[in-house]
Amino acid sequence: MKGFFATFKHDHWVMPYLRRYKKLLALVLFLGFMTFFCGGALMFNSGYLISRAATHPYNILMIYVPIVLARAFGIGRPAFRYAERLTSHNWVLRIVSDFRKRLYEAVEKQAVAIRQTHQTGDVLSILAEDIDHIENLYLRTVFPLVIGWLLYLFVVIGIGYFNWAFGLLMLILLGVIVILMPLLSVTVNGRREFQARQVQRTFYTQLTDAVLGLGDWLISGRRQDFLAQQDAPIDQIAALRRSDHHFQWWRNFAIQFIFGAAVILLVWWAGVMFTHNQAEANWVAAFGLALFPTVEPFADMSQGVSEWPVYQNSIQRVNALDENEPKQVAQTTIGALDELKLDHVKFTYPGAQREVIDDLSLTLHPGEKLALLGPSGTGKSTLLKLILGDETPTSGQVTLNGEPIARLQDQRASLFGVLDQQPYLFNTTVMNNVRLGNLNATDEAVMAAVKAVELDDLITRLPAGYQTQVQEAGSRFSGGERQRLSLARILLQDAPIIILDEPTVSLDPITEQHLLDTVFDVLHDKTIIWVTHHLAGIKHVDQVRFIEDGHFDMQGTPTELYRDNPRFQSLYNLDRGR
Amino acid sequence: MIDKRVFKFPGVKPAAAIMAVLTFIQAFMIIFQAKYLSVAIVNLWQLKSVRTIVVPLALFAVAFLARHLLTLSKNWLLYPFVETTTKTLRKQFMAKLFDLGPSVVAQKGTGNVVTMGLEGIDKIQTYLMLIIGKVLDLSLTPWIVLIYIALIQWKEALFLLAIYPLIIFFMIILGLAAQAKADRQYAGYQRLSNHFVDTLRGLPTLKQLGLNKTYANNVYQVSEDYRKKTMSTLTIAMTSTFALDFFTTLSIAIIAVFLGFGLMNNTIQLLPALIILTLAPDYFAPIRNFANDYHATLNGKNALTAVLDILQRQTPTDRDLLETRDPVWRDDDEIRLNHVNVSYGDAKKPTLKDLNFSVRGFQKVGIIGASGSGKSTLINTLGGFLSPDAGQINVRGTAVPHLDQRAWQRSFVYIPQAPYLFHATLRDNLAFYSPTASDAAVAAAAAKAGLTDWIATLPDGLQTPIGEGARGVSGGQAQRIALARAFLDDSRRILLFDEPTAHLDIETEVELKQTMLPVFDHHLVFFATHRLHWMNEMDYILVMDHGEIVQQGTPAELQQQGGAYVRLRSEMEGATVK
Repeated sequence: MKGFFATFKHDHWVMPYLRRYKKLLALVLFLGFMTFFCGGALMFNSGYLISRAATHPYNILMIYVPIVLARAFGIGRPAFRYAERLTSHNWVLRIVSDFRKRLYEAVEKQAVAIRQTHQTGDVLSILAEDIDHIENLYLRTVFPLVIGWLLYLFVVIGIGYFNWAFGLLMLILLGVIVILMPLLSVTVNGRREFQARQVQRTFYTQLTDAVLGLGDWLISGRRQDFLAQQDAPIDQIAALRRSDHHFQWWRNFAIQFIFGAAVILLVWWAGVMFTHNQAEANWVAAFGLALFPTVEPFADMSQGVSEWPVYQNSIQRVNALDENEPKQVAQTTIGALDELKLDHVKFTYPGAQREVIDDLSLTLHPGEKLALLGPSGTGKSTLLKLILGDETPTSGQVTLNGEPIARLQDQRASLFGVLDQQPYLFNTTVMNNVRLGNLNATDEAVMAAVKAVELDDLITRLPAGYQTQVQEAGSRFSGGERQRLSLARILLQDAPIIILDEPTVSLDPITEQHLLDTVFDVLHDKTIIWVTHHLAGIKHVDQVRFIEDGHFDMQGTPTELYRDNPRFQSLYNLDRGR
Repeated sequence: MIDKRVFKFPGVKPAAAIMAVLTFIQAFMIIFQAKYLSVAIVNLWQLKSVRTIVVPLALFAVAFLARHLLTLSKNWLLYPFVETTTKTLRKQFMAKLFDLGPSVVAQKGTGNVVTMGLEGIDKIQTYLMLIIGKVLDLSLTPWIVLIYIALIQWKEALFLLAIYPLIIFFMIILGLAAQAKADRQYAGYQRLSNHFVDTLRGLPTLKQLGLNKTYANNVYQVSEDYRKKTMSTLTIAMTSTFALDFFTTLSIAIIAVFLGFGLMNNTIQLLPALIILTLAPDYFAPIRNFANDYHATLNGKNALTAVLDILQRQTPTDRDLLETRDPVWRDDDEIRLNHVNVSYGDAKKPTLKDLNFSVRGFQKVGIIGASGSGKSTLINTLGGFLSPDAGQINVRGTAVPHLDQRAWQRSFVYIPQAPYLFHATLRDNLAFYSPTASDAAVAAAAAKAGLTDWIATLPDGLQTPIGEGARGVSGGQAQRIALARAFLDDSRRILLFDEPTAHLDIETEVELKQTMLPVFDHHLVFFATHRLHWMNEMDYILVMDHGEIVQQGTPAELQQQGGAYVRLRSEMEGATVK
């Protein structure tokens, strides 16, 4: 229970929405309550109706009201239920839209931090799933629980109206079902959920391992080992599921047991209370039958609550997102690019010992082209992050026209264009995808950019030309073509500095040559910083630098290096297959 | 209603038979429960003393408890069958994966296969647990209750019988319409969900283009559009529930009114009337339960289909045609491919056409070609991961239909662009093909593969966990780990390389090459790459284009002949610095 309150103490994802959409929420709860009220009232009324009819009233009009009510409740129950489901789903989906936007904004603010702490994109899927979980938290836990409690209060007060002592007894007895059982469920499940998550994770890791490494398993011929490895988690999962089920069955039986006791006590009480004359006795059947329809919502409460540990995790995760928002730096703007300067830049990742970047200095002027090489892990990508302002140097600074890059983030898109390993194409038309580079570009400008990257023939041959959806044409665009589309975007963006982050790493040498020729041709007047892993196309730049352990190692123009540096020469020859 | 395949699981029939008996008894308990409660109420209505209801209430309690104990026992009895079945399914699934090998993973997708093994089989478990009980309940309980009602009052029974097909009719009509639309909507939901995750993943691109802030509204808009569409579907889906609810609840109301009139006209007594009224909800309960769990059932059914589809696949036969021998490959052995065609899955045109070549002893065979020329397919065929659909393969004088031979697979090491590293210790990864190797042997192999320096930097040396989610391993190191496997197992004299260095930076490639070359001695090497310098180390070269071997011979011969090889080389070299 402590965990429950702790979860909501700093919550700004669940509670605020309950407050903001108060009225709709109240409506949902009212409709939900009315559904079960009508169910109970139908049985209550019917019990009275037939008892009264059995006394042979002299006129049909004597039972006219119960007859009308029977129909009213009969129609009311499904109608309220229908309305409740529509309203609650609409409510929840509306909130989900808000959630998506919020999650997007939270991730947007900390895209860099998230990428740093979690290597893969999996965390994004997990976050997206969390939103679905919160959606279910409302539909499967919060609503049934509150509606169940309302119903419980109504029943107890209704009986207490006739006899407070018996009302109190019912308060305790039904309280076991609607308060104690849910609490028990959440405690037992919370403990098991933790275990289950661990077992599940082990199995998931092993299964993924087995599937991805299937080729190696096959070659190893270790069939027995392969099967034996999965046995333990499979048995553990089975054992967990079994105890889960056993608990549920016994809990449901206990609920029914208490419920049965409540019915018997109610009939007994009615027998004592309403048997002074025939008119009173007509109510006995009403009370005897009315409780039955409530067992379903009461039992559902425990089930809904037992899912809480899963939701709790999600709530904590999304809440944690807002907590480490990066600091804002006052922004300014600069005019035309004059100079990009790295001045004795050092960088260490938070918590790490090693200096990834160790005292780098570099100056680039408009139109200069620089290639950066070096083994992976030597700080090439960190250097790019520092130049773009995604990371701040631990000492020294990165400046544009003398202004620190951190102060130019608002202007970033008009300063830098980036072509990276996996250009992202959005699920819209080719035209729109390219136009993302500059939303004000005319169709003609977009087509001119596409022509410049030599894709005009390909695009016009597509069934819908520039209006073809990228998703549908996805398989049609090869890696090189995707890079070209992305390049067209950069042309429209028209930023003075272009960062090329290994754009050709997954391409074959021929495609690579052609793409690089186009890139350097269309970007001939830009300042270019190009991170590459080998020497294909190196003739396009006027400066080559090798990074080794965070500092520059070899540097010079390609021609100089080839002439004077034996190491460069041998690398170059190797790259050309000699 | 119930999937016939469920009856094929061993142990289902005895389990279902016991379930049927218990359901049958349970139906009587439902009747007794209604009867004795009514007796108690009617006694009170007749203003008899409270003492007269002790016996009926006690009998009610017994019947009520028995009813719910039977539910418990049914679950208890069915569960072992369900548990054994799902456990067996999981183990069979794993075994099948091993036997089918990586081609099935390539076809279905890693994520898909993992989901099938984890959540898919969980869904089957839920399905089995639900379907047998629900179907038995649906096919026994209402009819026993109805017969009992007919025995006391045939008119009401007739009404209840008549309304039943009507309910089913509306359920089907509305349910089908809603389902078709809901399924489409679900697909839409998946798309939206993917769109959202994709958007999160595309954030760096948006940021580069300066659109990250404005795109938040797009996220919201897409989500809101989806909400509106979903609500229109939900309205239909819920209408079907509404119809079911409406008819069942209204039927109870109508029965109550009928009974009221009957009582007034003295055609029926209170006791039978009350029994009928109490029983009416139980008559409808099974069909309502069935409809409520429709989605869980549907999901389980789909999961079952997917898993059985894998389990029923043919495993390759003739896997032991090649005799085991140690080492499998010797100096004077020969492998010969004659007119071999290979195609992927359902592709109409073969991917590899009419391959002819033969290799004897420890040769180094280079495979070169542009991307898409079939280099990887050839390596996969040589590894036995793909089976030819035409032609002959002859190994050591034995004709085999495919190379998925146990003996053959124990003779090679396969090194792709990104060797898979298992989520295990470095030692286990190194000794994957020979887990019983001594620590000294493992260390020696690691040293030969040039890993010693790196291992010294690891916190726990060889015992350090690596693989996804653990310590990151660079591309070059992954290659070295795979190489060490070859060093460790001397009986594996064949090496299959598939673009091992394409994504490495040139300096790492140079270092790796120096480690690799000594391994090539006394090994049969197949080396597919588009990095040209490797060709200088080869004894024999296969030049591939569009799935065909267009030229083959020693490097010197090919250089002399001119043609495809020379053309390809000059195209890949590109322009020169100077």
